[in-house]
Amino acid sequence: MSKRYGATVALASLDLEIERGEVFGLLGPNGSGKTTFIRLLSGYLLPTDGQLEVCGCDAVQQSLEARRRIGYVPEAAPLYGYMRVREFLSFMARLRGLSDRAVRDTVDRVIAALALEPVADRLTRTLSRGFRQRTAIAQALVHDPELLILDEPANGLDPRQIIEIRALIRGLAGRHTVLMSSHVLGEVAKTADRVGILLDGRLRGVRAIADTPDLEEWFLSLA
Amino acid sequence: MRSLGILLRKELLATFGSPIGYTVAAVFLLVLGYTFSLTLFATKVANLIYIFHQMYVLTILLVPALTMRAFAEERRNDTLELLLTAPVGEIWVVLAKFLAVYGLVLAMYCGAFVYVGVLEAYGSPDWGPIGSGYLALVCHAALIVAIGLLMSSLTENQVVAAALTLGASLMLWFADSVAYLLPAPIDSVVLNLSLIGHFRPMVTGSVFVSDIGYFVSGALLALFLTTRRLAER
Repeated sequence: MSKRYGATVALASLDLEIERGEVFGLLGPNGSGKTTFIRLLSGYLLPTDGQLEVCGCDAVQQSLEARRRIGYVPEAAPLYGYMRVREFLSFMARLRGLSDRAVRDTVDRVIAALALEPVADRLTRTLSRGFRQRTAIAQALVHDPELLILDEPANGLDPRQIIEIRALIRGLAGRHTVLMSSHVLGEVAKTADRVGILLDGRLRGVRAIADTPDLEEWFLSLA
Repeated sequence: MRSLGILLRKELLATFGSPIGYTVAAVFLLVLGYTFSLTLFATKVANLIYIFHQMYVLTILLVPALTMRAFAEERRNDTLELLLTAPVGEIWVVLAKFLAVYGLVLAMYCGAFVYVGVLEAYGSPDWGPIGSGYLALVCHAALIVAIGLLMSSLTENQVVAAALTLGASLMLWFADSVAYLLPAPIDSVVLNLSLIGHFRPMVTGSVFVSDIGYFVSGALLALFLTTRRLAER
């Protein structure tokens, strides 16, 4: 699969398969094409050529079906500032097709799972960065998606929040397939099962973290 | 259709949760009240033609303030990514935004019903032109709101979106003046694009299907282009 903007190649002939239930880390410097790849998977962008399959659905021909199976957290963790946390999560749950009856229970479940109880009735614009990120992850989980896509989930978090988010992502593995991007080697090493290195829009290599004792050395050898 | 209801609720929350809607409605009604009183005392004639023209102008001037944030703000805050990666068609996103703003504009128009009541209380107004005048305004607002949404979908800067909407509306308003300078048959094409050329007959009591068709088809075209713009990935 490739993505081009006019003459600019954002992703070139990317060939990758992510296994069901694994946490896959996409590692690369800023501008390497990580966000473009994630936006393609989420359905926000369409590939210029090639084939993209998300949870068994063609992402172009069966776009709505593919989008039903993913939960997506963009890098900026965007929220509607005029909504309260519970209200925002209910809105996202309804938008993703949950029945009115199921929404209340589901929202209570994700609020508890992400420890959002203290801020559940607060306007999202008043949340700290850590709670914003948790709320953004919660909205991606309300419909129990097969694939969870996280763009730079640890960005802007303090050390304690990073540890909490890392534990949360590890806890999701198995039940959900998780794709996360990061430009921090240590973050990917501690969270992912496998890692792919993306440089200048090209996937340079994919390895299991368990088989890569020195991720830094491997990254430098490719860069 | 369920998606439309969910998105419309969200849009109404955004519209009525922000001071912009209230401010625009207040300015609209304040200016109308001032103009109505002035016109009634000056002419002593029980008609609303002046008020309808005033509402026509105010719609062009104020609607850009309501539509500018529709997509520009979502794009700027990255929330558009949330909407467009949810399993809903772009058409529902566009329609929800259209109905929310259009509903607010129609509510503002309803506020002007009080002038009809005043005329009825103190005079004998001709109800035909009043009905066709309101019909003209309803059509006019649909077109201006749809143009506003299209312009908002083109940029992430709200001020640019408002300026583009105002510019496009003014160009359409004055299209008939430009038409007189053009050779045939282009002049008749440009003449038929004129906003005021289709508004004026209706507001004076002459309702033609062609005039209604102009506003409806223009609004549908703008909404279609907005949907296409969102679908560009």
